[in-house]
Amino acid sequence: MTERHWNRRAGTLLFLVLAILVLAGITAAGIFLEEEAAVTDFSRTNLAPGAEFWFGTDWMGRDMFARTIAGLSLSIRIGLLTAAVSAAAALVLGTMAATLGRRADSAISWCIDLVMGIPHILLVMLISIACGRGFAGVVAGVSLSHWPSLARVIRGEVLQLKNAPYILVEEKLGVSKLQVACRHMLPHLFPQFLTGLILLFPHAILHEASVTFLGFGLSSEQPAIGVILSESMQYLTTGRWWLALFPGLSLVLVVVLFALLGERARYLLDPASAHE
Amino acid sequence: MKKRLISSFLALALAAGLLAGCGGSGESSEQGASSGRDTDSVVIAMGPTSEPEAGFDPAYGWGAGEHVHEPLIQSTLTVTNTDLTIGYDLATEYSVSEDGLTWTVKIRDDVSFTDGEPLTAEDVAFTYNTVKEASSVNDFTMLDHAEAADDTMVLFHMSRPFSIWPYTMAIVGIVPEHAYDSETYGANPIGSGRYMLKQWDRGQQVILEANPDYYGEAPKMQQVTILFMEEDAAFLAAQAGEVDVAYTSATYSDQEVNGYSLASYASVDNRGFNLPAVEETTDEEGRTVGNDLTADVLVRRAINIGVDRQEMIDNVLNGYGSPAYSVCDQLPWYNEASQVEYDPQGAADLLDQAGWVMGDDGVREKGGQKAELHLLYSTGDSVRQALTADFADQMEELGISCTTEGVGWDTAYDRALSQPLLWGWGAHTPMELYNIYHTIEGTGSAQYSPYGNAAVDSYMDQALASSDLESSYELWQKAQWDGTTGVTQEGDIPWVWLVNIDHLYWVRDGLTVAEQKIHPHGHGWSLVNNVDQWTWSEDPAGE
Repeated sequence: MTERHWNRRAGTLLFLVLAILVLAGITAAGIFLEEEAAVTDFSRTNLAPGAEFWFGTDWMGRDMFARTIAGLSLSIRIGLLTAAVSAAAALVLGTMAATLGRRADSAISWCIDLVMGIPHILLVMLISIACGRGFAGVVAGVSLSHWPSLARVIRGEVLQLKNAPYILVEEKLGVSKLQVACRHMLPHLFPQFLTGLILLFPHAILHEASVTFLGFGLSSEQPAIGVILSESMQYLTTGRWWLALFPGLSLVLVVVLFALLGERARYLLDPASAHE
Repeated sequence: MKKRLISSFLALALAAGLLAGCGGSGESSEQGASSGRDTDSVVIAMGPTSEPEAGFDPAYGWGAGEHVHEPLIQSTLTVTNTDLTIGYDLATEYSVSEDGLTWTVKIRDDVSFTDGEPLTAEDVAFTYNTVKEASSVNDFTMLDHAEAADDTMVLFHMSRPFSIWPYTMAIVGIVPEHAYDSETYGANPIGSGRYMLKQWDRGQQVILEANPDYYGEAPKMQQVTILFMEEDAAFLAAQAGEVDVAYTSATYSDQEVNGYSLASYASVDNRGFNLPAVEETTDEEGRTVGNDLTADVLVRRAINIGVDRQEMIDNVLNGYGSPAYSVCDQLPWYNEASQVEYDPQGAADLLDQAGWVMGDDGVREKGGQKAELHLLYSTGDSVRQALTADFADQMEELGISCTTEGVGWDTAYDRALSQPLLWGWGAHTPMELYNIYHTIEGTGSAQYSPYGNAAVDSYMDQALASSDLESSYELWQKAQWDGTTGVTQEGDIPWVWLVNIDHLYWVRDGLTVAEQKIHPHGHGWSLVNNVDQWTWSEDPAGE
């Protein structure tokens, strides 16, 4: 039995390392390929996938492989940024709601309900337009709309922790609030927080892609997956399937990878399953 | 696991079913359409933007505005002939006073609206006074007021001379004074034109029916159905045989559709970049105006002869276009001095002369500053994006480093004051030259891109003040180039014109589309200007 435990844990770890390597590789390769992705060459337009251009070329002769990788890289970077901002906002607001008394709690809970009450994609679009679209618009839109669910989890968690016997004992022993927070609360919150953070990625990436697809996000000269997919719509009826298939598939793969990553990380970090 | 297997199997089955379904329905409708076709009706697919949002009211853009065409439902006083000179519809003659301030137009006395009421000069005067008040799309500030002298004579009192008034008269459909309510007219128009609106399903289709009491030649097409659909849907509709004519673009031009041929119509639907002609500054509204690179006339001239327009047409438009040298190519007021030859060596020499010398990295420099252009195009327009990319590639060869950006029209106008934007123009009136090159009162600079030349202004002012339309063409030509100054290569060249985009349509075999006049900007209603003269051959091919 012990051996099997070890294997499963190691397998999970191995998966985590591999997944992170793949995602980091795509991100780095994308930055490297960004220039290549923007090169137009009208002598090689609309080529089907082949040895030279793995994913084919589009109507301006751009290499779809370079565009796809650059697009994924851009998506991942936007995902990282927005997930980090969202998670930080969630952590701060969730903790504040739980610790600053009833009035702060109801104010923050009202905000959470408000943001959650508006359909995500609509909110992202509105914020993105208000912030002038483009990179800034998308980052603002996605990060300002994705914090509530995690904030709610953290609020609940902190509320529960506040009444945990060991915290109450610490307080009775006269340990300062800050120390309690840093030494006992944060380590307890960390697994929840990290899992929530990782699980925000797929949402952030998909929302970035969809809001861009709808024309309210990144500008059309950028190699974003949403741009690629919306451009390809025009060419599907003329049989240029490769324009949508590969970029779409790679987007799904990256999102699945992130989702699995989050799930596995939770499995490793969650006290309930960490020792299985 | 088992569940997953089953579900993926089901998904596959569903996909297969969908594919089979598509194939099947396509075939059956093709048969249905070809067997049961009337010989006096036609179904045309246009883009969703062709649907008149405010309905068929001339005051709110029907026939007029950005995309000009004949209003079909209403009559106009004049029409533009195939060579873009002026012909008559309702009018029988017109004249203008010596000072250019009074136009006298005589109209036919045998015309009735489709509700039976006769069309009189009162209706004409009412129409013009109404559009002057209400038009949100056209400038009628040159008209002071219109008045009916008697039943068949209208007087237009102008606030300033406007020699090209007949071109304005060609786009204003005459509405009945007794049955006009601006609230409802758009959806229930009554006119005296060749067709009557039979049905309008917003977002889907418009059905026009021939006017049985039309005063001119009776329409050969009794029923015209216009469907509004996206480009890919229009292509599929043609493939399925559901429409007789479908608009399309160069993207689809290498495809083949059984039973259809690709028709290409020449246009002045041009594309060109503005080249801000002043040094960069900030105006009182805080906007950046001017561009340090294109402020140099030698650079602008180099760009104009350094761009290979034919290559652009072959690359981007699949050959369906013509080189553009002005905003009004081939129109009566076009000056042939606008035309230039592609001359990359000459362009390089001009840039050298201007002090922009080639650096080691292939980018020209002057005083430590790199030759850089940031090119804008309207986002979502793949043809403009490709033209911009091709232009950028060609500029790089000249040693001008380019970046491109897709922008929305909400910000494009302001940004074009300092950066070249890819525009589309082309209208059946010389007024377009005025709108682009004439300075605006107060600012001393043209509206869309900073530029000003007193001589050019003066020719256009004279042209508008001229009492004879035919002779004013020459003044419009002089505004472009008078031998010493103008807006062409040897002049100030504040805009570089690239291509005129041919308008492409899938046309069902057997349908003869009547001869088209050169299409203006806007890929839509222009085609059906003369739909009343279209015919089906007796034995359509493919049956």
